[in-house]
Amino acid sequence: MFEKLLLLVLGAVAAFLSLPIVFILNHAFKPFHELFLFPPTFLVRQPTLTNFYDLFLRSADSIVPFSRYLFNSIIVAAFTLTAVILSSSMAAYVLSKIRFGPKKIVMGGIMLALMFAPETVSIPRYLIISWLEINDTYFGHILPFIASPVAVFLIKQFIDQIPNDLLEAGKIDGASEFQVFIRIVAPLTMPALATVAIITFQGVWGDTQASTLFMQDETMKTLPYFVMSLTSGMANTVAGQGMAAAAGLLMFLPNLVLFLFAQKRIMETMVHSGVK
Amino acid sequence: MAGVSFKHVYKQYKSEPRPSVMDFNLEIEDGEFLVLVGPSGCGKTTTLRMLSGLEEISKGEIYIGDKFINYVSPKDRDIAMVFQNYALYPNLSVYENMALGLKLRKTAKHEVEARVKKAARILSIASLLEKKPSQLSGGQKQRVALGRAIVREPEVFLMDEPLSNLDAKLRAQTRAELIHLHQELRTTTVYVTHDQTEAMTMGSRIVVMKDGIIQQADTPKVIYGHPRNAFVAGFIGSPSMNFLEGSVVAEDGKYYFHNKRFRLEIPEKFNASLKSARLNKIILGIRPEHILTEPEAVSRSSNRISATIDITELMGSDTYVYLKLGDDMVISRVVESSTPFEAGDKLEIALQLEKAHLFDAGTELNVMNV
Repeated sequence: MFEKLLLLVLGAVAAFLSLPIVFILNHAFKPFHELFLFPPTFLVRQPTLTNFYDLFLRSADSIVPFSRYLFNSIIVAAFTLTAVILSSSMAAYVLSKIRFGPKKIVMGGIMLALMFAPETVSIPRYLIISWLEINDTYFGHILPFIASPVAVFLIKQFIDQIPNDLLEAGKIDGASEFQVFIRIVAPLTMPALATVAIITFQGVWGDTQASTLFMQDETMKTLPYFVMSLTSGMANTVAGQGMAAAAGLLMFLPNLVLFLFAQKRIMETMVHSGVK
Repeated sequence: MAGVSFKHVYKQYKSEPRPSVMDFNLEIEDGEFLVLVGPSGCGKTTTLRMLSGLEEISKGEIYIGDKFINYVSPKDRDIAMVFQNYALYPNLSVYENMALGLKLRKTAKHEVEARVKKAARILSIASLLEKKPSQLSGGQKQRVALGRAIVREPEVFLMDEPLSNLDAKLRAQTRAELIHLHQELRTTTVYVTHDQTEAMTMGSRIVVMKDGIIQQADTPKVIYGHPRNAFVAGFIGSPSMNFLEGSVVAEDGKYYFHNKRFRLEIPEKFNASLKSARLNKIILGIRPEHILTEPEAVSRSSNRISATIDITELMGSDTYVYLKLGDDMVISRVVESSTPFEAGDKLEIALQLEKAHLFDAGTELNVMNV
């Protein structure tokens, strides 16, 4: 009886939490007149692809076409993901398993860095990026994300649980430190790596900071910046609503797909970080 | 295959005041099965880890064959190690676990396969090759860990308490298999254990350690029969040797061991060594099987003591009888008894002193060695 009640309550909560997803899926397919209905509706009545048509083709004759923003976003996201996973996991391995002098200080620094919201460091970031003269380059998008204390911390917690004997067995089997990392540690850390991939992707895919602050050249800006500009004043707000809805769905879909792929791994991480 | 030699090896951890291993000197011959045994914290595992290269050597030299290996990394020492918790790679199948070491050494693929299959056949795990370690029982994991070591065909096997995670029955069985395996492969093996039974049954030579120092290194028979000091005597043998404190007095050219409750005549074979020993404080050590309880045997002996039975433990063929001698407690191992033992009963017992050992209470050294 209690279990049925639980099921009912959890089902209701899940349904409520999925409303935004239902809305975003439907909204993108609404014809122009349905977008402005009051009260607003969740479900689309006369689905149409006009919004996507507008987004892809109509915006093509603007100065920077939609496809350029999309291309930028894909490049930035791909490089950021690779770089974050590589650098964070290697840093985490060293911090977790290798003895060296200032380890505690480094760990302390990472813990401290966990406490800063990205907004608070935007000015120093700007200074660093302009000092490195990487404004208007893809590297300017990527660099701020590579330093990811959350990723290092998460992966380190995971690697901590791998028994040292395994690494020693690897070394005796003939593996170098790097081979131990690639062949033994990395496969066992997959759940944490998947989680880091999702978190990082969400961050970089939705990021407007780099486009707003570090990119002066319009052709170097990314998709979320474009979506933001559609809805906030820069374009005609009324006419842009359809395109904004379609772009919103495009922003959301990659997150969903990545999550569905990595879902099982992520659940493992949640279990691991909670219960030892 | 090769021998191993330790020359004045020390291990000093920064955080600890005294060295964990002190002046470790040992020659291990090619093909030998050497067991390092001692209580936990005695430095046996540290010694093994220094040999494996997982731990740095603070001072001294280690050679495998003629090769000086102090600064050689573990992968280049040509050793294979079996860990207490097996340390199988959980993400790899049994086959891949066994093959990894060969693959990392760039062995040809067909040879990897041949060697893994051969090892699997020797250890009868051929049917498990496709499984993941999590699908195996403890005994099977143990075999895979062994298999991973033998496919490499190394100069030296290192085993760090490989049987301690198995249940008693499986442990005895695997022990026998390990002995068999060693007879077949004849690879030099260094085996660490805290279990004296394993040491006695498996080792062609035993090194007993305590506090980082070698107490005695010899064959099981010598260690059991002629322990160099009271620690070795007490550590090897189950149930362990009984110790009685007292002093030795000389009368009419004969020596007597005596304490508050009794006085025993010491056999002549001790005379020579007792002349030079300090006699005022002596520990008499006698193994449980040398304490007789059969009335017939007791009556023939001149060294009789009366004792009270405290408890008895039936071990199957043997019975361990715990006897109170005033404040002292001794254990007698009785194989067959004509009379039943009842707790609280008084009993005459006899000590076979010709098989006993005398230790200096100060240095704990066997007086026969001095």
